[in-house]
Amino acid sequence: MHEHEWADRLSSYLDDDLDPAARAEVEAALAASPALRDLLDELRAVQQQARRLADREPAADLWPGIARAIGVASPRRPARLHGAWLAAAGLALVAGSAAVTWVVATRAATPPAAVAAAAPAPATVAALPVTRRPEATRSVAALEAALAAGRARLDSGTVAVLERNLAIIDSALADAERALAADPSNAYLNSHLAATYRRKLALLRDAAALIARS
Amino acid sequence: MMTPPAPRTPLQPPTRSDADPPADAADVALAASGDGQAFERLYRANAARIHGLARRLAGPDRADELTQDVFIRAWRKLHTFRGEAKFSTWLHRLAVHHILGRRRAEGIARQRMADDTALDLAPARRAGMELRLDFETAIARLPDGMRQVFVLHDVEGYRHEEIAASLGIAVGTSKSQLSRARMALRRHLDA
Repeated sequence: MHEHEWADRLSSYLDDDLDPAARAEVEAALAASPALRDLLDELRAVQQQARRLADREPAADLWPGIARAIGVASPRRPARLHGAWLAAAGLALVAGSAAVTWVVATRAATPPAAVAAAAPAPATVAALPVTRRPEATRSVAALEAALAAGRARLDSGTVAVLERNLAIIDSALADAERALAADPSNAYLNSHLAATYRRKLALLRDAAALIARS
Repeated sequence: MMTPPAPRTPLQPPTRSDADPPADAADVALAASGDGQAFERLYRANAARIHGLARRLAGPDRADELTQDVFIRAWRKLHTFRGEAKFSTWLHRLAVHHILGRRRAEGIARQRMADDTALDLAPARRAGMELRLDFETAIARLPDGMRQVFVLHDVEGYRHEEIAASLGIAVGTSKSQLSRARMALRRHLDA
């Protein structure tokens, strides 16, 4: 049998893709033929060289074209995550949570109409609370997972401030959701919930950016 | 009677490990939430591999355009990435599908499977220096379908079943095309 009649079988032999009987037949032929052994060595060399092929960067930087196409040509603001900023964010959230507490407390003593009338003009009123929207919850879940996986890369002081502020945010969100459950059309509560959720997203993004750059 | 082509199924490239390192996972999460700088970092980390794949599957003239297409597509589909495999694995699979899909759409596939007359199987030993090409150039000169099978199997590590399903050919055809590709390329091994 000519060597290239053996090519398919040797190629399958190289890939360990023969049943035991076929494999034994090939091995017997290899033992009897130096030419077949040389051919097998050549095929193996091709396979090994293919595995060693190096990747190299494109000659031109393709990023500018990609950025234009996806609309991200302008760089985003750099992450500002540091202790002082995190602490300030936490205080703002405490103030926001206090406002929700006031709304919840006064709602019990004040007819709903009066509370709604006293609330500021609505910023956003969504059919579904932001904390229930699939896209939003997916983003937060992904960022929280990234943070959990990478928190060891942050210093302990930053982690402590981050955890405290996330706890404040989550408490504020829980307060707002409880209040909204009892008063779903409350414009102030809807707006506060959305704003608090955006704060959580922003905090998680900045933390993830720090991890990515660490 | 001809066997109907197997339905195409997504290729599952071999994974080197099952999870992204924390920095990459953070960048993926950031990019999915709209962070362009994070996506640029993902581009920089993966461009060489995707460009190499595009160059080998579709030729050097198309590699830049296809690489850009892949990353634009990845940005738009990032919300579908669930993190079950590494981001680079997900991106690679997307790239293979896109590049092969473009080739099919452009009608290249009809010419893809070489017959034996197009293939020089005769030399039992390496050609003289004046006839040798460098290995990558030799791959580029393989007939289209033979090159796709060789690149996907020997360079990228896919199995014949996966390659056959994606290219719409029989598994036996994939194996024979690989064998012919190896026979042709043995003349152009680097010294």
